[in-house]
Amino acid sequence: MDEQGRQILMMLAEGKITADEAERLINALERQQPELAAGAESRPKARPKYLRVLVEDTSTGDEPSRINIRVPLQLLRAGVRLTSLVPPKAMTKINTELARSGVPIDLSELKPAQLEELIDQLHEVTVDVDGFTSKVQVFCE
Amino acid sequence: MPQLVTVRYRRPDGRWRRLFIPVLLVLVVLLMLSPLLVLAALGGLIVGRVYGYRVSFLGALGGLGQVLWALPGARLEIDDGQTAFLIRVF
Repeated sequence: MDEQGRQILMMLAEGKITADEAERLINALERQQPELAAGAESRPKARPKYLRVLVEDTSTGDEPSRINIRVPLQLLRAGVRLTSLVPPKAMTKINTELARSGVPIDLSELKPAQLEELIDQLHEVTVDVDGFTSKVQVFCE
Repeated sequence: MPQLVTVRYRRPDGRWRRLFIPVLLVLVVLLMLSPLLVLAALGGLIVGRVYGYRVSFLGALGGLGQVLWALPGARLEIDDGQTAFLIRVF
């Protein structure tokens, strides 16, 4: 029993309140507590701040090779904004090279707002690849 | 804005070495080199215009500022055989 319930019982024991009043107070307390618990559960999770990339490879030797990268999501956003500065002429060249490499993507069609939205949704992404000798994890924290 | 960058790397004898780089000190050095940096930026702008690559100077400056401000918390650690280093930005 929590502190408030104990106080009600003490008041009852001391004769400050009647049994009916104590019952009403305890009922009110019980009604209040599930609401508080539900409120705590519905509280939104903290927004992730970092993108983590963890790679471990044991195929190369005795000691595993490890890569551990933590990128602030804010840095990704800033990088995305920088792409808007790429001159159109350079963008055309990039598109041509991408198409020649078999990746027919028109980067000029990608708008900063779309990329921002993509970053906002990154916290839902979890990549977990567990191979025989290597392991890759990508997630937000 | 980042305050401190720590670089930790493994030397060939297997011992680790750690460097603490205060960003303020780097800014002081950049300030001292600012006349050269201004010349380099102007040169870059002129070359860009000659070859048809028009970049907004203010936009680039703002973008770089945003990248710099977003750096704290970044961490890069690579450990692969002889090569091992860790860079952290605070």
